[in-house]
Amino acid sequence: MYLQSRRTFLKGAAFSVAGVAIAKGVFATDAIAESVSQSKFTNTPDSISFYPDQSEWDNFAELDGDDWKRGGIERHGVRSADNPDGIQVNNYTIVPTVCSNCEAGCGLTAWVNKDTMTVRKYMGNPLHTGSRGRNCAKGYAVTSQMYDPDRIPFPIKRAPGSKRGEGKWVRVTWDEAMAAIGKKMHDTLAKGDEISKKSIMYHVGRPNENGFGPRVPQSLGIDGYNSHTNICSAGARQGTIQWANDDRNSPDWANADLIFLQSSHAADAGHYFQQSAGLIAEARKRGAKMVVIDPRMSNSAGMADLWIPCWPGTEAALYLYLTNRILNEKKKDGSDIVNHEFVKEWVNWDRLMANKAYLQKMIGYGYISKMPKDDSYESFIEVAKELYAPYTKEFVVKECKLEGMEYKLDELWEMFVPAGAKVATYLWRAGPIGHRGGWMNTRAGFLPLVFVGAMRGDIGGVGMHHWHEISVAGKGDKATVAGKHPEKTDAWNEIAWPPEYPISTYEMGYMMPQIMMDDAWHEKWTKRGLKIPKSMAVYVPRMHNPLWINPDGFRWIEALKREDKFELSFNLSPTWSETNWYCDYVLPVGLAGERNDQQSTPSKPEQRIEFRQAVLRVAAEKSGWKAKRPERATLEAHMKFGLGEVWEESEFWPNLIVDYVDPDGSLGIRKYWASKKDPSRAVTVPEYFDAAMSLLPKLKAQATKLYKGEEFPVYSYMRDHGAWTEKTDVYKPQEEELEFDGTYYHAHGHKYSKDEVTKDEFGALWVQDGNFKKSIGAEIDGELREGFHTLSKKLEFFSEWLADEWKWPEYAIPIYPRNEKESDKMVHLVTQVHHKHMKADNEFALNTIYRLPYNIHTRSVNSKHLMEISQNHNPIWIYTKDAEKLGIKRGDAVKVQIQDTLTGIKSGYFIAMAVPTEATRPGVLACSHHAGRWKLKDSVTIPGFEHQLGIMSLGSPKYEMTDDGKVGTMKPTEGIKPHEAWQFKEYNKDLDDIWWDGLSGAWQNAVAPCHPDPIAGNHGWHQKVIITKAGADDKIGDIKVNYENNFKVYQAWRDQLTRPLTAADKLRRPYHIKRPVKPSQKAYEFNIKDV
Amino acid sequence: MNNDLKQEQIARINIYALISRIMMSEIDEGLLKSIEEDENMLSFFPTFKEWEKREKLSSKDLIEKYLNVDFTNLFLLHLIPYESFYTRDDQMLETGGDNPVQAIFNAFEFNVQLDKARVMAADHIAIELEFMYELCRAELKALEEGNSKVAQEIAQIQYGFMRDHILEWAPMYLLNVKSEAGTAFYFDAADLALEFIMSDFEYLTELKNNGYNHQV
Repeated sequence: MYLQSRRTFLKGAAFSVAGVAIAKGVFATDAIAESVSQSKFTNTPDSISFYPDQSEWDNFAELDGDDWKRGGIERHGVRSADNPDGIQVNNYTIVPTVCSNCEAGCGLTAWVNKDTMTVRKYMGNPLHTGSRGRNCAKGYAVTSQMYDPDRIPFPIKRAPGSKRGEGKWVRVTWDEAMAAIGKKMHDTLAKGDEISKKSIMYHVGRPNENGFGPRVPQSLGIDGYNSHTNICSAGARQGTIQWANDDRNSPDWANADLIFLQSSHAADAGHYFQQSAGLIAEARKRGAKMVVIDPRMSNSAGMADLWIPCWPGTEAALYLYLTNRILNEKKKDGSDIVNHEFVKEWVNWDRLMANKAYLQKMIGYGYISKMPKDDSYESFIEVAKELYAPYTKEFVVKECKLEGMEYKLDELWEMFVPAGAKVATYLWRAGPIGHRGGWMNTRAGFLPLVFVGAMRGDIGGVGMHHWHEISVAGKGDKATVAGKHPEKTDAWNEIAWPPEYPISTYEMGYMMPQIMMDDAWHEKWTKRGLKIPKSMAVYVPRMHNPLWINPDGFRWIEALKREDKFELSFNLSPTWSETNWYCDYVLPVGLAGERNDQQSTPSKPEQRIEFRQAVLRVAAEKSGWKAKRPERATLEAHMKFGLGEVWEESEFWPNLIVDYVDPDGSLGIRKYWASKKDPSRAVTVPEYFDAAMSLLPKLKAQATKLYKGEEFPVYSYMRDHGAWTEKTDVYKPQEEELEFDGTYYHAHGHKYSKDEVTKDEFGALWVQDGNFKKSIGAEIDGELREGFHTLSKKLEFFSEWLADEWKWPEYAIPIYPRNEKESDKMVHLVTQVHHKHMKADNEFALNTIYRLPYNIHTRSVNSKHLMEISQNHNPIWIYTKDAEKLGIKRGDAVKVQIQDTLTGIKSGYFIAMAVPTEATRPGVLACSHHAGRWKLKDSVTIPGFEHQLGIMSLGSPKYEMTDDGKVGTMKPTEGIKPHEAWQFKEYNKDLDDIWWDGLSGAWQNAVAPCHPDPIAGNHGWHQKVIITKAGADDKIGDIKVNYENNFKVYQAWRDQLTRPLTAADKLRRPYHIKRPVKPSQKAYEFNIKDV
Repeated sequence: MNNDLKQEQIARINIYALISRIMMSEIDEGLLKSIEEDENMLSFFPTFKEWEKREKLSSKDLIEKYLNVDFTNLFLLHLIPYESFYTRDDQMLETGGDNPVQAIFNAFEFNVQLDKARVMAADHIAIELEFMYELCRAELKALEEGNSKVAQEIAQIQYGFMRDHILEWAPMYLLNVKSEAGTAFYFDAADLALEFIMSDFEYLTELKNNGYNHQV
């Protein structure tokens, strides 16, 4: 205490400088009270979930956000002539739309400033019952994507005389581009032969819509749809199809007692992430537990009640261990853990027990020791008990490499059993896609959930995807001249559906260049009688960057450069991408607020649709603007209101086809896209989507009531609300009664006379469907039920079709090798990165399949907000003690060499920055394959255009590439720099603040060889790698790949592991399982001769 | 008004100005020079006065290498200089118009420029102290103009604001600053502020007890 008294205190305060000179002076005293009292604005909304009422959306005034930071209305008042320093008021039209960044399709609202006709911000849409007004970072970053300074402002075409990849471009109009493309398509289709029907490929990346895309190739009469789904999720789809003939599950997170996750998907990235994460958080708040099985401690694992870091690809062993305990142990009260009532009624055990030949095979495989004593359910349980008894704790600890973590298995059991049937899971990405045999992850993963009854799809359990999804985007038929859906094609495209992969899920699009460049393969199948195109007349990636995201990227480059293989290519792309660089045309298309799509995302047990819209068009139309050509209203609005010549597919395709592909209707295609209202032009967005969405009866009723007298009431409803929930509480629809009126059975919108329906010995009801039989329902315990989507109408423990006709009998039940001998024999089920392949201290499994929660595969590259928060977030994670052993420290550059374990062939390497951490398990490295973007030039010059078009100037460094036809290298040469924008300046004043260089990973996808799983067809993403410290000349971001070697790996996986179709086979693929864009039954016929 | 009262009032203004300024933003060379060259002011910083680094380093280095680092720690990163953090059960900051301190400022039409102050909410320690500074100035003006009624009202506001707000949390925060301070300067500044507000509240209480008769 140095101040003795207040007197001394005050004496000391006789400063030589007056207080007024010292004080900061932060109080302003201007009189503004009047403008405040006359305003409707408040300082703070009542709650943070505040959104204006929908009735105010057409005209909503709000204080400007920048000014708002100055401290609220009462300090500055509202801007007016009398109060020029007050806070500005923005007059908005709020237009609902849907995020287009990931697959979740969360609701957005675009706040369009009516004075400037620009979008000032994107917020959530509270009317979307899935996202409930919330968004993740990617949703709020949509503004920065919309007004990206490198937005491609108009269509560009490879400069005449230049080669693909030279980077010389000229500006063209949409009509010029469409004329050239349309002619090529017309000339191809006019040939009318089988080859021509396989020579146009529509390669769809992120679809984010439910059916419009597939309608395009179908209307062209071709087999040319190539979804990207294989590369992202073939494994999970395959496993789910075998169980339920649905390709995904759909959990009820909110009501579950146990959240059972493999990987970070659902809770911190990936499918329906933001919506799922919110529901999971609510369940946990209520007391639900969360288990995460993942070799990497993701955000989800970090927050979970239990993290189990199984060795990647061995998770099936864990699931079968759980099954063993469920079957062979009791609850604390002595009762069975198995939900017998559910399993007995809804699992196809009866077909297994009746199939004596298969049971004999099971004995032969060593799965069981003897034939069951009878066909009863009780005997089935005995079979199952014996089958899964070998999956003991000791086994799983060894197989999943959980030594020292045995207690975690006990904890898992303690959480699993009390949850009963209220276990929710989403088995997706990661395990199921990363491995050979990854599909068994899902197959085995659902098994314990089946036995406890969680797969019944009841409250808190696991339902099926299509229960909760509405797909009508392809069904706007009534708005067209044809008035009906296009016919199915008779062609079967072997480029997407090669005969080695008859049950793949789905198109083998990621290895299209390998297939196209393999002359020996082409010759082999041509000799046997298949008609396979040698080239693609027209190749159309859409919202896709296949060259960068798929494995073996240098092969993609080589293929796309070959004009004899890809005669004409154009990318419908919202951003610059590596693929663009090697196409003939880049046609700029829209993002979240610049497109028109019907989407439906099953994130909870309800049926909902969302409507993504071109918000500038909608806002302008609401203010009285009219397009000159209504069928091109979106393009016109974007040009008129400063976004540039940005278009989107729902107008582009109808216009292209009607005006340029089939202008005179001679190909029979025009009618599917010409407007019924005015056949001289293409169908418009309101016409088409009103017809499509009117198929929802409740929506139609509500819309007709609210928009009485309007021409397109359903379109108007969706335009103004953005989302509609048709049905809530959609649980266990398989148990719904199958209606029978004495004469007819009514199933899924069809009626079948009792005379055409036959019932088999297991109760399934069958009808003839062309050349095939299909089941329409089942009699369960004396009652007629709709049943699951499988042929048996039950969940299929026993996949009879896989065993009998489709050549994989040993895997027709959930199984996993139990010893070394089986592991060698069941090579199809054992991951290529199994620990048995890791011999030396520097050999690791590389886990590549996880998303950075704030990035999307390729479209986020130039969102400055997402780039800023993701910089340097993708090092290679290495377990601390592994790093110590190898002398690797944080920040060290390491050389990561990829080696295939089937052939021993080395592919090459990439250089990455190491970060030792406890957050990845021993022996397993982690490095997401979603980073490592590159460009070869900073910008391109367009003759006659005054500005340089920047290329990924906010997210990608510049690289130098070498390629001698066998070996390719990449080396980063220059990072990104602060710069000025030439367009959208108002939104990009901060580009001089860029501090990051854009180098956040290497292009590891290019080094990875294709690893096609012989059954699901998925690319086994994970790699065995050998790491060493990088050399003096190596730089983080470098890659070197011998893609000739990669080709050998691809061929080995294909030729050594698959069981291709032969002359004995009569079908291309099981008719009952899903195929995006199903061709006719004729196309399924398979007739070849053995050579 | 008599001279003693006037001097006392000026002294209060000066000290509130000084402590609010120091806690508002990083010190600049001008203010540092003022303190070092003014014996009166320097007397409030006895530890700092003897601090060896003050002798050894240039003002620029002293500020950049030590004082700014300490300021960042004490006012931006480590400690939370906001009333709502100390007074709310959930320790959340109230940054909007529902902030009770903001409501008081609004009621008196004192408009805080948060951007200028570079703070997130109006209940920042420096803003509350500057509010006191403003009130003291207003009180002095009223006294000078012989408007004792207004002066009394203003003193009453000061008493209430001290009692209901500053004293509810500032002592705790300032003790934390003293404990966490890495430089003699901010240690002394916190000690000064702590001692002064305690002492000033005693003064205001006395004033209240005698019926706000400034002349007693």
